[in-house]
Amino acid sequence: MKSGVLATMATMAVMGATLLAGCGTPAATNTSAHGSKINILETGSTLLFPLFSKWVPSYESSHHNVSITPAGTGSGTGIAQALAGSVQIGASDAYMSSSQMKPGILNIPLAISAQVVAYNLPGLNGRHLNLSGRILAGIYTGHITSWDDPEIAAANPGVVLPHHAIIPIRRSDASGDSFLFTSYLTDTAPTLWNAGFSTSPNWPAVSGEVSEDGNGGMVDGLKANPYSLAYVGISYLNSMESDNLGYAALQDKSGQYVLPLASNITRAASAMVSHTPADERVSLIDAPGSDAYPIINYEYAIVQSHQTSGSTAAALKTFMRWAISSSGGSAPAFLKTVHFLPLPASVVRLSLNQIHAIH
Amino acid sequence: MRFIRQRRADRVVGALLGMGALAPLVVVVGLLSYLVESSWPVWRMMGWHFFTGQLWNLGNLYAARPAIVHGVPVMPGASFGALVFILGTALTSFMALALAVPLGFFVAAASGYFVHGRWRVVMAGLVEMMAGIPSVIFGLWGLMVVAPAWAHHVGPLLNRVLHHLPFFTGPVQSETNLTVAVVVITLMIVPIIAATIRAVMERVPRELVESGLALGWTEAETFWRLVWPYARSAVIGGAILGLGRALGETMAVLMVSGDALNVLPRNIYSSISTMAATIAGQLDAALTDPTKMAIHALGALGLVLFAATFVVNILARVIVNRSTAQLRAVTKNG
Repeated sequence: MKSGVLATMATMAVMGATLLAGCGTPAATNTSAHGSKINILETGSTLLFPLFSKWVPSYESSHHNVSITPAGTGSGTGIAQALAGSVQIGASDAYMSSSQMKPGILNIPLAISAQVVAYNLPGLNGRHLNLSGRILAGIYTGHITSWDDPEIAAANPGVVLPHHAIIPIRRSDASGDSFLFTSYLTDTAPTLWNAGFSTSPNWPAVSGEVSEDGNGGMVDGLKANPYSLAYVGISYLNSMESDNLGYAALQDKSGQYVLPLASNITRAASAMVSHTPADERVSLIDAPGSDAYPIINYEYAIVQSHQTSGSTAAALKTFMRWAISSSGGSAPAFLKTVHFLPLPASVVRLSLNQIHAIH
Repeated sequence: MRFIRQRRADRVVGALLGMGALAPLVVVVGLLSYLVESSWPVWRMMGWHFFTGQLWNLGNLYAARPAIVHGVPVMPGASFGALVFILGTALTSFMALALAVPLGFFVAAASGYFVHGRWRVVMAGLVEMMAGIPSVIFGLWGLMVVAPAWAHHVGPLLNRVLHHLPFFTGPVQSETNLTVAVVVITLMIVPIIAATIRAVMERVPRELVESGLALGWTEAETFWRLVWPYARSAVIGGAILGLGRALGETMAVLMVSGDALNVLPRNIYSSISTMAATIAGQLDAALTDPTKMAIHALGALGLVLFAATFVVNILARVIVNRSTAQLRAVTKNG
C-alpha cells in the first residue's frame, strides 16, 4: 500500500517538474543573459504579413539568438498594440495621425507597397477594367449599383459589362488598406466621398455590402461572391491571379488608367518621396505625373523608441537595419514575390536615423 | 444551544466562507461601477441619441485636434449610436428563441417523458454534451458549413416559397447574415431550454403518470393533462434563461453575423451586428482613438448589455423557482 502511494507521488513529482521545465518565459520579458533567446513580437498589417513571414525564417537562420513571432491582425491592432507595448513592432500601412502620436513613438517605413482593386466578374476576370476614384466612391456610397452603370461603361468603351448588382466588399477590422483606399477616394472624389479616411472609416450604408476580416478574408470574399469588388493589398496579387480574379487599372492624377506594375509604382514613388519629412509620416496617394500608380504607401513599423531592455533594443535595431538593407530583407528575392519596392536611398537614410533613436 | 464552541480552524473557515459569500456581490458591484464610470462621457456626449442613433463613427482620426462636444473631447465628426446593435441583438435573440423554444420543448418531452430505458439516458447525455460545446466551435461550423449552404441552396429555395413575405425574402448577397447567426444561436440555447423543461417534467411523480395510464389515457393524453401544466411555466423559465445566453453570445455571432455598421437590417439576409459581437470586434479599432471616446462607447454598450442580461436572468430565476415550488406543493398534497 505505502509503496504504491510513494510511487504515485514520485511519478507526479517527476511529471510536475517536467511540465514546469517546459514552461517558457512569458512573452513580454526579454532576457539575453544565460543565452536564452530574445523575443521580438510583431503584429498588424495583413498587407505586410506575407513579406514578414518570409523574412522571419531567413533572419532567424542567420541570427540564432533572436526569435521573431509575426501575426496578421490588421493595422489598427498593430498601432494599438505597439502603443500599449504588448509587441515590439506594430506593422501598419497607415502612418499615425498627429492626435495618435505620442512622444517616443516612431513610424519607420520598411518598404513601399501598393494596393489593387480586384473583382470577380465571370467572363471578364482576364480583362483589366478601367476604374476611377469617382466610380469607386460611387460604388462605396451606393450611388453606382450595377456593373453596367453608364459611368463604368464610359470608362471601358467596347467592354460588354454584365447587368448585375455590384457587391462591394470592405474590411470589418481596423485596416491600413481601408486607410489607403479611403485616402484615394477622398483625394479623387471629395464631393462624393465625405466619410474621410481612417483605418476605421465611417462606411456609408450600402445595401448588399459584405465585410471581411483581413486581406485574406477579402480574397475569400471575392471568391465566394461573383460580381463582387474589393480593395486588396498587392502582396496578395499572385494568389488572386492563380484564383483567376481580375484587377483594375486605376485612374491616376493625370487622368490615365494605370496598372499596378513595378514600373508604374516606381514612377509614383519617385514623384512623392521628396515630400517625406524627418518623421516619415506622409501619404503617397495619388502621385502626380503620367503612368503613376495612385495607391502606394510606405509599410510602417510602429516602434517605441524606449524598449524594455537594452538587449531587446539592440536586437530590434539589428533586425530593422537588415530589413531595409538591399542585401537583407529588401533584396529582390524577397520583395519581388510580394510586388513591393525597396525604399529609395534618401528614405533609407531617414529610416536609419529613426532606428538609431531606439534604445 | 446558542453558544457553539469555535476552534481557530472554524474561525478561519468562517472567514473564508464569508469572503466566498461576498465575492459575487463584490464582482457584480465592481463590474457595474467600472461600466458606469467608463460610459459616463458617452451619456454626456450622446444622451438618448445613443439608443436612437444609427451611426457608429469614431470621427476623423487624422484631424489636427479633437473637438469638444457637450464638454467631452472627441475626434471631429464622431457619433456613437447603438441602434444597429440593439436591433441586431433583439432580432437574433428573439428569432432564435422562436425556433429554440419549440425545439427545446420537444427535446425535453422526448428525453424526459416519452423515450424510455437506455435511450433516455443516451439522449440526456447528448443534450448535456451539446450544452458544453464551446460556442466558438458553433461559430466556425456556422461560417464554414451553414453560411455557404444557406446562401447557395436554402436561401434561394426559401425565397421562392416565401416570395410574398416582405421581411423574409431578399437577394442573398452576404454569406454571413442574420439567418446564419440565428441558426447558430438557436443550436446553442436549445440545450439550456431543454434541460430546464426536462428538470420539471422529471419531477412529476411517477405514480401520477401511472394512475393516468391506468385510467386508460394514452401516453400523450397523460402528458397533456398531468405533465404539461407544470412544464408550462418551466417553458417560460427556460426560454428566459435561453434568452440570457443568447444576449451574451459573442464569438460565434461575430464570426457569422456579417459585422454590419451604420445600416439597419432589411430582411433576414441582411448583415447584422449584436452588442456583444461589436464590443469584441470593434475593440482594436477603438484602441486607435486618441481621445479614448470609442472605448467609453464600448463600455456604454457593455452597460446596456449588462443591464439587459441582469434583468433577464433575475426574471428567469423567479419564474423557474415559482414553477418548482408549485410542483413541490402539489406533490406534497397529491
